[in-house]
Amino acid sequence: MVQLLFFMAAIGAIGGALAVVLLRNPFFSVLALVVHLMALSVLFLLLHAEFLAAAQLIVYAGAVMVLYVFVVSYVGGADELLAEAGVARKLAPVFGVVLLFAFSLAIGGSALKALDTRGADLPAGFGSPAQIGELLLTRFLLPFEIASFLLTIAAVGAVLLARRRRGLEEVDDVSGDGGVV
Amino acid sequence: MTTLLAAAGQVHGPSVEYGSLLPILILAGGAIVTIFVSLIGGRAAQRLLTPITAIVTLVSAGVVFAVRIGEPDISILGGALALDDVSAIFDLLFVSAALCASVLVWRSDTLREAGAGEFFSLLITTVLGMAILVSATNLVTFFLGFELFSIPLYVLCAADLRRNTSLEAGLKYLLIGSLGSAVLLYGLSMIYGATGHTDYASIARAVSLPALRDDPLLLAGVALTLAGLAFKASVAPFHQWTPDVYQGAPTPVAAFMAVATKFAVIAVLLRVGMQALGPAREHWEVMVAMLATVTIFVGNIGALRQESLKRMLAYSGVAQVGYVLAGIVAGTWLGVYAIGFYLFAYLAMNIGPFAVIATRERSGAGDGMRGMRNLGREAPWLAWPMTICMLALAGLPVTAGFVGKLLLMQAAIDGHYAWLAVMIALGSAISLGYYLRVVAAIWMPSAVRDEVFGDGTRSGTSALAGAAPEADAARHPELVALAVTAAAASVLFGFYPRPLLELARILAYAGGQLIF
Repeated sequence: MVQLLFFMAAIGAIGGALAVVLLRNPFFSVLALVVHLMALSVLFLLLHAEFLAAAQLIVYAGAVMVLYVFVVSYVGGADELLAEAGVARKLAPVFGVVLLFAFSLAIGGSALKALDTRGADLPAGFGSPAQIGELLLTRFLLPFEIASFLLTIAAVGAVLLARRRRGLEEVDDVSGDGGVV
Repeated sequence: MTTLLAAAGQVHGPSVEYGSLLPILILAGGAIVTIFVSLIGGRAAQRLLTPITAIVTLVSAGVVFAVRIGEPDISILGGALALDDVSAIFDLLFVSAALCASVLVWRSDTLREAGAGEFFSLLITTVLGMAILVSATNLVTFFLGFELFSIPLYVLCAADLRRNTSLEAGLKYLLIGSLGSAVLLYGLSMIYGATGHTDYASIARAVSLPALRDDPLLLAGVALTLAGLAFKASVAPFHQWTPDVYQGAPTPVAAFMAVATKFAVIAVLLRVGMQALGPAREHWEVMVAMLATVTIFVGNIGALRQESLKRMLAYSGVAQVGYVLAGIVAGTWLGVYAIGFYLFAYLAMNIGPFAVIATRERSGAGDGMRGMRNLGREAPWLAWPMTICMLALAGLPVTAGFVGKLLLMQAAIDGHYAWLAVMIALGSAISLGYYLRVVAAIWMPSAVRDEVFGDGTRSGTSALAGAAPEADAARHPELVALAVTAAAASVLFGFYPRPLLELARILAYAGGQLIF
């Protein structure tokens, strides 16, 4: 059962990721991304990371993807191709394949060793919301606070950039003396 | 409910040492207060009160950092942050860079376009992010610190909202920077996957075990982490964004990026490279040495044909990072010592030219080589600092750049990388080609210059160069003062390097303790 679920989720994840890249219509790409993220959350479940699986579904497949769908429907333009295929663009797949090979080697090299084992020894309750919450309040208190500050400052940055939309206030004395106070 | 409460009773948060956390708190608080201050009153508050708040924040954080130098190492918040001399000295560098950027931006149009409160708040947050980054002893904190300084910088690059090139710079930096962050995160997750730890000390222990000696996952993780960091420090071949972004970004922001982001990455390389991955150094040492070589050549050759000074400084910055990497490659006491000296010298040598460029830009002359013409005759107060800084960057004797390069080469030779020292020397020789070009543009009489450059725009030069340079030198005393100070420091520390060497010695001593 677990094996079956794993292979289904794995195929879903890889297939979804491929579809994101290969599909021409951005709307379908977004939908393929949803499939990919859902398959990933199943994989997380299989790894006993229940909280992560739920967060993945709610935050990514739920909230973030809705945002993507909005953006795609606003911006639209499914048939606009980006740019002429230059040399760099033609070389890109070559580099991609080489990198894929290297990483498969790297990950496979480590992962294959673990095939016959039972996996890492996890303490009871590993990955449960309670334990994650505890970690966020103890060992990872600082990262947690930094993340909140990061969000605040990102909002400040967004406000700064959004000024352009709202219209800038008149800069009256640009050519003047530089506004000596 | 009762079980929840019972569970809550068992959780004990780490003790928060507010005294040691003070500089972080000052910076975080200052970033918020600056925004609120900018809301007070009218224009006067925007123009005077907000910059003063920002500068007070930076100075007070800097003082606390400076006081910490030489104090015993502590680790706070349950081991989340390490406050040692390495972080204290780098923090001092970040704060100095931010202060220089504040002076550069003080009366510029950028500040009015972006809003003083927002601009300074973002600038202070970058310093905060860098401070957290260098103190981090954990991959999670490391990545969050990394993002905390990156994200405000993306916005700051686009702060000249009216100028399309600035928006382009912001977008380019955002895309490339996010790619770099993604690569870095991928690498960090692989390191975690291979070692099973996020703490630097535990990673170092795991890496030193024979089981992980040639672990492909660890190797891939180290390679990706290096690549991700290389994006940020614009180490070739991950540097392509640099000239475009520096040229498009507001000059104060470009000046800040040219120094502070590079320092931050060097600090990370010291901490993660030497502490966490120190036992695996034979794997990444050669990798970094190769990167350094490529970087030195790509940077120096790329700078040769640039007409925009900001682009030229971007390429020169690429090359300079290559020199500094030699110290990391050496990985010895001397290597860290050389890095310590060079970074302080680099700060002075780079801020000077950016201050001169900012002055020329404000008078409408742009950042082109043409804006430098006749500067020697018309504005000696701008011409001399520019000349001195260019010569210092090239590494001519009696400048701080010379002492720094000498130390770096010595470190490379001492660390059995003599060929890297040769590369530094070759790179410096090439670099004369573009640094001296600026000096020639400043001092050569126009007739000779036309013969040399042969572009026949002689009659049009003064019109192109905008307002008379001597007038804008008088109009922007703070920029001139900054340029003169930077140039004076570049020469002074060439003659009398002892104070900087003392700081470098402290850094090297603390860095030596990091090495596992």
